[in-house]
Amino acid sequence: MAMIEFKNVEKYYGDFHALKNINLEIEEGKTVVLIGPSGSGKSTLIRTINGLEQIQAGDLTVYGENIAKKKSDMNILRKNVGMVFQHFNLYANKTVLENIMLAPRIVLKRDEKENREIAEKLLEMVGLSDKGNSYPDMLSGGQEQRVAIARSLAMKPKVLLFDEPTSALDPEMIGDVLEVMKKIARDSDMTMVVVTHEMGFAKQVADQVIFMAEGAIIEKSPAKEFFENPKEERAKQFLSQVLNH
Amino acid sequence: MQNFFNAYTSINLIFLLKGLWITIEVSLISGALSFIIGSILGVIRYAKFPVISMLIGFVIDILRNLPLLLIIFFTYFGLPNFGVRLNIMTSAIAALTVFEAAMFAEIVRSGIVSVPRGQSEGARANGLTGIQTMWYIVLPQAYKRMIPPLVSQLISLIKDTSLATIIVLPELTYHAQIIYGQNNSYIIPMFLAIAVMYFIVNYCLSLIGSWFGRRRHSQTAH
Repeated sequence: MAMIEFKNVEKYYGDFHALKNINLEIEEGKTVVLIGPSGSGKSTLIRTINGLEQIQAGDLTVYGENIAKKKSDMNILRKNVGMVFQHFNLYANKTVLENIMLAPRIVLKRDEKENREIAEKLLEMVGLSDKGNSYPDMLSGGQEQRVAIARSLAMKPKVLLFDEPTSALDPEMIGDVLEVMKKIARDSDMTMVVVTHEMGFAKQVADQVIFMAEGAIIEKSPAKEFFENPKEERAKQFLSQVLNH
Repeated sequence: MQNFFNAYTSINLIFLLKGLWITIEVSLISGALSFIIGSILGVIRYAKFPVISMLIGFVIDILRNLPLLLIIFFTYFGLPNFGVRLNIMTSAIAALTVFEAAMFAEIVRSGIVSVPRGQSEGARANGLTGIQTMWYIVLPQAYKRMIPPLVSQLISLIKDTSLATIIVLPELTYHAQIIYGQNNSYIIPMFLAIAVMYFIVNYCLSLIGSWFGRRRHSQTAH
């Protein structure tokens, strides 16, 4: 069974048709990359997966739960679906370690000793062991984003969503964050859905590429196929613009 | 010149200080109560619960737009017509509490609104419930941001206690009125004395406020 499944999903912002007839299956353990021009609906799509946006029609099933149904408990869903934001969204009033340990402590009721061990190990994994007691406003953007990734991983989610994780970073810092993401893609069986403009990253680790424009999915193919041989005209046009910088 | 300082006999000064004590007492009690009630009302209005949030919003808007003098007057002279008879001190505290609660409610609500949405999105995405998000992430940052308008409102409250002179509350301004009622040449010395006293109390309050507002790291999101 697919980890995430969209069936005839529609979404509106008032009169604006933001997502048009979305049909999509994302298999467990795969790394899926969402690309497309601005305003194509890629962020909207990814935000419906953890309930930050509501859909108006169709079925959306995540980790077995149909979240279009009124009764579904978003809080339970979000224990299994983590998200990394373009603007990091670290807790400004908490230290780095506190950021990572808060949710496991109060939502998962994790044992304090175990919680700290896991948090410190995650900080080591993202290369920020010495920043545990710093506040977010002392960190650079790239450091903040790596903490944000560690924070999401601490909940041990089944799915990790990335909404343009490097778009707000200075070029020198993008590499560090992408390294962490590549590590996750290669070394774990986590399902990753990534909205990004980083084609290099997509080529290296994506299993599947989904190209969107104007609220609809234009093309979805295995990554190798997509980059070597895009089928749709719109996709070809987009690739030629993006890859020729 | 000599005449001027005649006003400052020890009897008069002690009488003024007794008035100051009432001012401080009333301010502390209504300040604490209205802050707690106002916080609760502000959060409820922010949360937009069906029916109750709108009702509370309505009440807050009415109270904020009425003169405090009127509310004080009504509490002491009007309520007995409805069977509620409060003494002077209680009336003053009740009226001030109700009015200031409405003012604090709006300060709290706008403080919460000023915390960037990303903070609560990050918390919800991290698995926190709405209440947990409020308690651990949003409210702490909201209160930090609210310190300047909160201190301003408290300073207003302290000064507004002087309005209770009309119901004969024996606070600082009323006691000054009694003293210069006995001797017209005491008017200016008395005004100067109470101005200094109000100033000292309010200035200490603003110093406490800035101390709270200053921390090594901003600890709220920008």
